[in-house]
Amino acid sequence: MTNAITIEHVNKVYDGKVTALKDVSFNVEEGEVFGLVGPDGAGKSTLFNILTTLLLPDSGKISLLGMDVINEYKSVRQIIGYLPGVFSLYPDLSVEENLQFFAVMYKSSIEENMELIRPIWKQISPFSDRKAGKLSGGMKQKLALCCALIHCPKILFLDEPTTGVDPVSRKEFWDILKSIRTQGITVVVSTPYMDEATRCDRIAMIQEGQILGINTPSAFIRDFQGKLYTFRSENIFSLLNIMEQCPLRCNYYPYGEHCHIAFYDDVATALPQFEQFLQEQGQSHGEIIAIDPSVEDCFIEIVQMRNALNQTQP
Amino acid sequence: MRTILILIKKEFLQVFRNPLLIGILTVAPMVQFIIFPFCADYEIKVLHIAFIDNDHSTISQDLTHTFNASGYFISHGLVKNKKEAEKMMKHDKIDILVEFPHDFERSLYNNEPTQIAITANAINTMKAGIGTGYVQNIIGDYLNDFAQNNRPPQAPTKVSINISNVYWYNEQMNYKNLIVPGILVILVTLIGCYVTALNLVREKEIGTIEQVNVTPIRRWQFLLGKMIPFWILGISEFIIGLVIMKLVFGITVQGSIPMLLGCTAIYLLVMLGLGFFISSIADNQLQAMFIVLFLFIVFVLLSGLFTPTEGMPEWAHKINYLNPMSFFMNVIKKVVLKGTEVESLRTEFIVLSVMAVVINTGAVVSYKESSK
Repeated sequence: MTNAITIEHVNKVYDGKVTALKDVSFNVEEGEVFGLVGPDGAGKSTLFNILTTLLLPDSGKISLLGMDVINEYKSVRQIIGYLPGVFSLYPDLSVEENLQFFAVMYKSSIEENMELIRPIWKQISPFSDRKAGKLSGGMKQKLALCCALIHCPKILFLDEPTTGVDPVSRKEFWDILKSIRTQGITVVVSTPYMDEATRCDRIAMIQEGQILGINTPSAFIRDFQGKLYTFRSENIFSLLNIMEQCPLRCNYYPYGEHCHIAFYDDVATALPQFEQFLQEQGQSHGEIIAIDPSVEDCFIEIVQMRNALNQTQP
Repeated sequence: MRTILILIKKEFLQVFRNPLLIGILTVAPMVQFIIFPFCADYEIKVLHIAFIDNDHSTISQDLTHTFNASGYFISHGLVKNKKEAEKMMKHDKIDILVEFPHDFERSLYNNEPTQIAITANAINTMKAGIGTGYVQNIIGDYLNDFAQNNRPPQAPTKVSINISNVYWYNEQMNYKNLIVPGILVILVTLIGCYVTALNLVREKEIGTIEQVNVTPIRRWQFLLGKMIPFWILGISEFIIGLVIMKLVFGITVQGSIPMLLGCTAIYLLVMLGLGFFISSIADNQLQAMFIVLFLFIVFVLLSGLFTPTEGMPEWAHKINYLNPMSFFMNVIKKVVLKGTEVESLRTEFIVLSVMAVVINTGAVVSYKESSK
């Protein structure tokens, strides 16, 4: 497989103070769906802006299909499609007018690449006369996707495409991405939702401008070091303070309405000790059940390990 | 070419779907045209006047009546003393006080010098200046007549000079003739600078500029696609203004209309470029609005619309070399009222063209900087 994107030692600092990206390097293979996963402010959008030629990096080298994003930005722009994090189509133009506008911007036409967008277009064409600003959130994203695909790009960048979109539309959106992939288009997508990451071929975890790890979602899960358990508790958050006194090597964190705990000792002895600890602290709790880790658990573990490492060697 | 055409089409679609913009483009000029020229008028039609008559003679009484007959004055009659008159002026009851001295009549008959005191409320300098002018005229006329009728037969005829004024290019000294072309200038400036700056900043605000920037379209294409529609709008607005000027105010353009349009086209390029430049440094519509407003007020005050530029200090003249509006105002006034030929306006044309090139280059560079 050849690389669609190669990123080498990219750095970006805003106003000489805020470090947005710190020595970022990775490759994206042609035809894969590559996910960039990280919390808000991790540097995802900055990286996207650099990849889409909107922002210059302070240092480093990036090439898309062999073209340099800085020197050959004109040819790069012809082969990429970009869906920004916020809805950026003209709200006062109709669905069709928007699509036509962007088709011409790429010296293409709606008819030329209809094949590629037909499945999505079918869903929004009943509203083709409606102003883009009056569409629902999910419809807006589908239209934006159409506009980003109208020139048949080789690489498609999607910056948090499902943020603020309802769960049903989110699922639909990912199904569409899968179908785009079958057309041979490389897709790079960023998301703060870890559950979506499993739908990518490979993911890069990013935090504070640094890449924490790159792998397939299943490999991340396979490499999870601890033994993960979940239980219910009345005092999910007050447990956080109590856990500081816990003598076990473990990592506790709230996870939705549940508590997750990962043990790094032999579970046969650690689990009873933990239950005893909870009893001593007067904490009632539900049954403690072993579960398989999710990508989010993996992310939390990697961040934790990094922090621990940074503390021992400052 | 197709790219620029669709950019223009898109811009027009957006303009005609934006009710606020349509309002600015249609209602604002109408209102300005209808209200401004009628309100901004230097002619004073009503002056309140009072008299102190220390003479109580036939002549002083006769003169007092002359004021009433002139039609410009509303007389508040005789006032007993200065104190009372001061009180009236303080309460804005009267604008002008005329005081006849003792022995006024006697001095006149004896051909002795005498003095009439005219006191005016100068809070409104314009009113005071014009008011005292009227008063002097009326008294002067009266005394002239008096001298004619009461000249002793044996006395030699004094050479009396009558000064009569003829105002060229604006024969009735009609203030509307000055202000209406000025409003045309303001209109074109507003559309060129204000609307364009707001339009481009809005694209920044809603993020559409980012979506356009990732396309292979070139910067100059994008700016041209913005410029042409507003350029067309500006010229159309100017033509509508000319029509209103003719139909409502009866002002006919004395000079060549194609030349007028040519100059407007160049001036619009300056203003469009300025609008783009402002939009590249402003982050949101509010900032853009304040920058435009600031520049606009400076431009208008220095342009000579309200006060003649000749009365301004040297440094203001120097600043005016950078004020495109002042050059354009000059052209409009000269061509509309005076019918000046293109040869005499060469400087203005050259300066505006240079400004257009400089500001637009600046805008493209600044736009590139801000989008990198």
